[in-house]
Amino acid sequence: MIAQQLLNALVVGSVYALFALGFTLIFGVHHILNLAHGAVFMWGAFIGLYAVTWFSAPFPVALLCAAVVAGLLSVALDWIAFRPLRRRGAPEFSAIISSIGAGLVLMNIAQRMSQTRVMRYPFGTFPIEVYSVYGLRVTLLQITIAMSVAVIVAALFAYIFYTGFGRQIRAVAVNERTASLLGVNPTAVYFQTFFISGALAGAAGVLIGIAFNSVHFLMGEPYMLRAFVVIVLGGLGSIGGAVIAGLLLGLIQTMTIAYLSSDLSDAIIFSLLFIILLVRPTGFFGTLRRERRVARE
Amino acid sequence: MTGWLSGYGSVIDLVLLNCGLALSQFVVLRAGVFSVATPALASIGAYTAGILTLRTDAGAWAGLLAAAAMGTIVALILSVPLARLRGVFQAIATVAFCQIVLSLALYATDLTGGANGLNGIPRLVGTVQLVVWIVVVVYVLISLSRARIGYAFDAIRQDETVAVSLGISAVGHQALAFALSGAIAGVTGALMAYRNRSVAPEEFGFGMLVTVLAYVVLGGRRSVLGPLAGATLLTLLPELARPLADNRLIVHGAVLMMVIIYLPHGIVDTVLIAYRRRMTAAARATLPNEEARDGSA
Repeated sequence: MIAQQLLNALVVGSVYALFALGFTLIFGVHHILNLAHGAVFMWGAFIGLYAVTWFSAPFPVALLCAAVVAGLLSVALDWIAFRPLRRRGAPEFSAIISSIGAGLVLMNIAQRMSQTRVMRYPFGTFPIEVYSVYGLRVTLLQITIAMSVAVIVAALFAYIFYTGFGRQIRAVAVNERTASLLGVNPTAVYFQTFFISGALAGAAGVLIGIAFNSVHFLMGEPYMLRAFVVIVLGGLGSIGGAVIAGLLLGLIQTMTIAYLSSDLSDAIIFSLLFIILLVRPTGFFGTLRRERRVARE
Repeated sequence: MTGWLSGYGSVIDLVLLNCGLALSQFVVLRAGVFSVATPALASIGAYTAGILTLRTDAGAWAGLLAAAAMGTIVALILSVPLARLRGVFQAIATVAFCQIVLSLALYATDLTGGANGLNGIPRLVGTVQLVVWIVVVVYVLISLSRARIGYAFDAIRQDETVAVSLGISAVGHQALAFALSGAIAGVTGALMAYRNRSVAPEEFGFGMLVTVLAYVVLGGRRSVLGPLAGATLLTLLPELARPLADNRLIVHGAVLMMVIIYLPHGIVDTVLIAYRRRMTAAARATLPNEEARDGSA
C-alpha cells in the first residue's frame, strides 16, 4: 500500500517538477515572477487535445506539438507583457500584474473555445496497459510520464550547464548588463528561456491532461499555486532544487490525501510554504545565482 | 426614485462592497507592502459575523465589531512574519495565507459549513449602511494621508532605505497599514455576509485576489480616490455592456496589462499628476519676476 502510494507520488511529483522548472527558470534568469505560466500550461493541454481530436495525431506528436506551440506562446507573452515594461525599467510589481493580466486573457480565450466544458482525450489516445511489478500496479502511462520527465529534465540540464547557449543564459542570470557587454545578445536569451519555459509547461499540460483525463480552462490555477511551493522549497531560480522539491511536494500531497483529507492537504502544503519562507527564504538547494534580495536588509 | 433604486440597488451594493475590498488592498500597497491578503481577511470577517449571528442571534453591530476585531488581529499577527520578507516574497507568502484560510474554511465543516458555506443569515444591512461604511473609511484614509502617517507611507513605498534613514519605522508603519487593511477587509466581509445572506468559500479565492488587485492597479495606488474609481469602473463595465459580462476575465486581464504598461500610476493618479503639473506651470506664468528673483537669490 505504502509502496503503491510512493509510486503515485513519484509520478505526480515529476509532473510538478516539470511545471515548476519553467517557472523557476524565468525567475532565476530574468527575475520575473511569471504568473501566466499556469495559463501557458493549460494551453499546452488544449493544444495536445486539439492535435489528437482534430488531426488524430499520435500521442508523441501531440506532445511535441503542444510543447512547441506553448513555447511560442510563452515567447509571445514575453514580447507583449514583459518587453514594454523592461524597456521602461519598471519595478517587479509591474511584471507580476502584467503577467496576471496576460494569464486572464489566455484563460478567457480558452473558456470561449471550450465553452466552459471539461474536455477529455478520446478513448484509446494512450494504450491502457497495466503491469505488475513486485505486487505493484504500474500502468504504461505512469512509466511514460516518469520517463519523459526524466529525459526532458536531463536535456534541460545538459543545455543549461554544458552548451554555449546555456552559458549565455547563466551569464544573463548573473547580470544582464555585464553579459551584454561581453557580447551576449539578451534578446536571444529572452527568446530561449521563455521558449524553454513554455515548452516545459506545454509538455506538463499534455501529461497532466492525459493522466487525469480532464482538460479545462481553469486547470492551470492549482498547479500555478503549487508551483509556488515547489520553487520556494527548492529555492527560486534553482533547477536541481525545483526537481527535488517537485518530487517532495508530490510525496507530501499523495500522503496527506491518502491518510488525512484532501482539504487539509492544501492547508498543510501552503503552511509549509509559509514556514519555509520565514525560516529559510532562499530555499534548501543551490541556485543559478545566489538570491540575496529575499529578506529585508 | 425608489423604482430606480430598487432596479439598480443590487448593482450599487456590489459597487460599494467592491470599493471596500479595493480600499483594504489599497492601504497595504500604498505603504509599500506587496500583500494580497485581502480576500483571506474578508473571508475571516464574513465567517466571524455569519457564525456569530447564526449561533448567538447577535445583532449587526456585534457582528461587525467582532469582524473588525478579528480582521485586525489576524492582520497584525500576519504582519510580524511578513516584515521579514520583501516584494515578490511577501506576495507569495500572502497568496499562501489565502490558500491556507480557504482550505481551513473548507475543512472545518462543523464551524463553517464546508463547501456549502453559511446560509440563512438574516439580511441586516442595506445600501444606506454600505454607503455610510465607505464614507467612514474614505474619511479616515484621507485624514491619515494628510497626516504624517500618509507621508511616511509614501516615503516607504518610494524608497524604503531613504524612509528608514529619515527615522521612519518601516516595520511599524507597515504593521499599521496591515491592521487598517485587516479591519477594512473584516468589516467589508461581514457586510457581504449580511448583505448576501450567505458566505460562500469559493467567493474568496484566487479570483477575488486578482479582481481586487485589478481595482487598485486601474485606479491608482496613491490617491484614495483611485481604488474607488477602479472598483466602480470594473464592476459597472460588465453591467453596462452584455458582451463585456461574458468576457469578464478578458476585460480584467486586458485592463491590467494595458494600465500597467501604458498608465503605470493608474487613472486617477495620472490625472492628478497632470493636473498638478498644469497648476504649477500656471502659477509660474503668473509670476514673471520669478527668474529674476532666482538669479538674485
